[in-house]
Amino acid sequence: MADKLDVKQGTLALMILKTLEVLGPLHGYGVGRRIEETSKGRLTLNYGTLYPALLKLEQEGLITAEWRQSENNRRAKYYALTAAGRRRLVREARDWHRTADLIADFLGPRPEMS
Amino acid sequence: MRQLRAALARIAGFFTGHRADDDLQDELQSHLDMETAEYIRRGMQPDEARRQALLMSGGLTQAAEAVRDQRGLPWIDGVVADIRYALRGLRHSRAFTAVVVITLALGIGANTAIFSVVRGVLLKPLPHRDGDRLLYLRQSVDGPGGANIEFSVPEINDFRNGARSLGAIAEFSPYTLTLQGKDDAVRINAGLVTGNFFEVMGLSAVAGRLTGPGDDGPGVPPVMVLTQEFWQRRFNGDTGIIGKQVRLDGTSVTVIGVLQAAPYFPDRADALLNMVISPHHLSAQMVQGRTHRMTEMIARLAPDATVPQARAEVTAVYSRMQRDHQDAYDPGSHYRVAVIPFKEVLGERARLTLWLLMAAAAFVLIISAANVANLTLMRGVQREHELVVRAALGAGVARLRRLLLVENLALTLVGAGFGVLLAIGGVRLLTSLAERYSPRASEIRLDGVVLGYTSALAVALALLLSFLASLPKEGTFASWIAAGMRRISGSLKKQRLQRGLVVVQVAVSVVLLAGAGLLTRTMIQLSNVSTGLRTEQVLTMEVPLIAPATATLADDVDAKQRYQRMQREMQAIHGVIDVGVGSIMPLGTSQIQLEIKAEGRMLAVGEAIPRAEYRTADPLYFSAAGIPLLRGRPFAATDQEGAGRVVIINQALANQFFPGEDPIGKRIAWTGDVLRFTPFSGDWRTVVGVVGNTQDGGLDAEPRPVVFMPFAQELAITGVLVLRADTDVGGLAAAATRVVRGIAPAAPIENVMTVAQIKDQSVSPRRLNAALVSLFGILAVIIAAVGIAGVLAFSVNARTTEIGIRMSLGADSGRVQRMILSEGGVLLAIGLVLGVAGAFLAARLIQGLLFGVAPYDPTTFIGVAILMAAIGIGACWLPALRAARIDPAITMRAL
Repeated sequence: MADKLDVKQGTLALMILKTLEVLGPLHGYGVGRRIEETSKGRLTLNYGTLYPALLKLEQEGLITAEWRQSENNRRAKYYALTAAGRRRLVREARDWHRTADLIADFLGPRPEMS
Repeated sequence: MRQLRAALARIAGFFTGHRADDDLQDELQSHLDMETAEYIRRGMQPDEARRQALLMSGGLTQAAEAVRDQRGLPWIDGVVADIRYALRGLRHSRAFTAVVVITLALGIGANTAIFSVVRGVLLKPLPHRDGDRLLYLRQSVDGPGGANIEFSVPEINDFRNGARSLGAIAEFSPYTLTLQGKDDAVRINAGLVTGNFFEVMGLSAVAGRLTGPGDDGPGVPPVMVLTQEFWQRRFNGDTGIIGKQVRLDGTSVTVIGVLQAAPYFPDRADALLNMVISPHHLSAQMVQGRTHRMTEMIARLAPDATVPQARAEVTAVYSRMQRDHQDAYDPGSHYRVAVIPFKEVLGERARLTLWLLMAAAAFVLIISAANVANLTLMRGVQREHELVVRAALGAGVARLRRLLLVENLALTLVGAGFGVLLAIGGVRLLTSLAERYSPRASEIRLDGVVLGYTSALAVALALLLSFLASLPKEGTFASWIAAGMRRISGSLKKQRLQRGLVVVQVAVSVVLLAGAGLLTRTMIQLSNVSTGLRTEQVLTMEVPLIAPATATLADDVDAKQRYQRMQREMQAIHGVIDVGVGSIMPLGTSQIQLEIKAEGRMLAVGEAIPRAEYRTADPLYFSAAGIPLLRGRPFAATDQEGAGRVVIINQALANQFFPGEDPIGKRIAWTGDVLRFTPFSGDWRTVVGVVGNTQDGGLDAEPRPVVFMPFAQELAITGVLVLRADTDVGGLAAAATRVVRGIAPAAPIENVMTVAQIKDQSVSPRRLNAALVSLFGILAVIIAAVGIAGVLAFSVNARTTEIGIRMSLGADSGRVQRMILSEGGVLLAIGLVLGVAGAFLAARLIQGLLFGVAPYDPTTFIGVAILMAAIGIGACWLPALRAARIDPAITMRAL
């Protein structure tokens, strides 16, 4: 089994924002599924990690929440990106890329995964 | 911005938690449903799918908890829960709670009450503007009555001209006046002041105006400023009185204003007037006579000047004065001047007493706190099991510590609440005590600052108690649980702390008891002091008939006739044995002290010029007052105006002037420069009698030399009627007052008192002192006894198994009992030794409050040690008996 990674605070927020940008309004289950799929199973999110993060973004006004009917007729709480959330995503993504490039240059070629 | 928004959302979340909780449950449930559906879609059985989904969720409750932490203010939520939990816990252990709350209420209450007095009398800023720049100057000489001889106008002027650091100097002369009302007359205490007095004092008017420089000197109309209290008492606080005229000693005086409330200083005064009311104060004698000292002096520091500068300057000016006027400063009397900041001088008589009480109250609090700490420690041990369970459920050390803190805060704050209730009663009692020592007693309040002090005390205690309890280090709970949750402590370290606290309690109790013992003995010694009078069945009343400043010879003759009529009529009252008249009431003191000499007696080298009190007495005064005649004869009816000049002296003066000789027939005379300013002549007078000393001015006062002059030969400046009866003389007051009213309807009648009452005046402050410290001492001992018993009981409890084993191995119950007794006895002995040592130190500090008992009084110390030991052993006995009754069979089975 591949090593599971801990999701860092902030990193998870960025993933949530990106997911909502790509997929549009989505419920918590969908956000979680999407993040796990994108990570190719390297990340698992339990509820206790996901939902506080969603609530925090909501409190900061970066996303909004609303109860709706889902595609298969279930009631679910849908989260959607706000304008502020969109701006935050752009800025955070840019910062992240810069940091990642810098660290990559710094550490040199990628070691073989064991 | 974002943070602010998030914070607001969280605060909102804190209040709307319940609704959001339902919402969250729905959301988590829908997540779970979708996940389950997904597993079913992948081909799992519904039950298996649901199990798998739950597994993946990581726990719904934990998730809800995590979200809740994010939503609201988890810290406050936690504290609210802690408070609820703490209160529930305290409700369940009622006995513990009651003991702790009562103990703390007593300790905190005593401290609150006494602190409010200390603050009001010693610490509060003065009501005077820039009060810390005010200075009081005091001139003293050696000998009785020499502590404050006041200043003369030339002396004050020398300071005005010579000491620049004293920016402004005001004068205050105490003066007594009779205020004539519509249908009564009262004597009022007034201060004759210079126009700059209020400016220097930094006081303002609450109505009307105060005197100013324009009111100085002769030729101005006399004006009067009322003090607030007198204005309320006499004029019901009516502002209409301002601008009106009143009759003072027969002169019309205009009331110009009312002074703000302020401590009475230098002297108690009902009103303050400009000098013109007393022609004498403006006369050349007064203004030029260097030895005519009857003025108090107040100075305000010049801007930039400091108190040490002022002291240095005053000392320099004063020694120059003494050089230039050697005749006015007898070197043997050691003339000196002290410069004292106002706050200090206003608190000087109260300071020692108040710090004593404050220390006693602090000691009680220490003992209370030690007891509560012990109770908390013991309860902590009983609760280890609970704490371990809580830790197992995920509470960290910080969380447990917080729980303890909340619990202790609840205890101390409730204790403080009851303490404040106690203090409200206590402050009333203490204010009446403080009134005898300080002019600032009216400023005593249980105000915000005092309550702040109390709350700070409560919080500090709670912190102390919470951190005294030792919690294990983070992460060691596992070992606790592994230990099978049996009692882990009873650990020696914790017991050492408890034992240390018991030793402190015993030691502090001994100090308090010793203080209480010394003060109680002081009080008993004092009330056993003989007044020097033969009887206490004596009633006195002061009836001034003439105003000395304006009286004519005819007034004097008339007054004497009226006193004689009063005497005759009082003599007729049933039960009266003798009625006398004199100038000063028995056991009172006279303001008039003059230098005196004996014929043919030379002053020894370096001897202070002798001084004696001037008094008058009529032929019946001594027998009426019960003053014993030791030699010679009393005054006779023949010692009239124009007859031979005779005097009677008291034993103190006889011993000083004629040691080992018979004073009868010797001659003495008033002397000194100051006679020029008085109506008293310096003629030689023959001693015809010697009377016994009486305890004038207080039972603890030194006897002062006194010269009695025949009432008939002197001006009747004051008149005191003295009645002796065969029984209850207090019951004759009404009848005697009626006699005076019949003969002098408008005269003030004052100090209607029995000798027993006068005597009590000097004993009662000491009695209150002794009672308070004794009360504290008794409290301390009770609390300490509970503490010893409690700690030993706990120790027995913790050692039940051990004792069981010992007994099953053959130790009999007597042996077990001795074991526990000696355990307590060691603590008691250490505490006693430390306590006695501490008490020796404390006794030295309160030496000034003792009378007739040495600070190291062996009787007191031995008595206190025996008492404490007896109570301590008694407290050890209960747990020892309990230990002796342990049934080894039962304890062994429980193993």
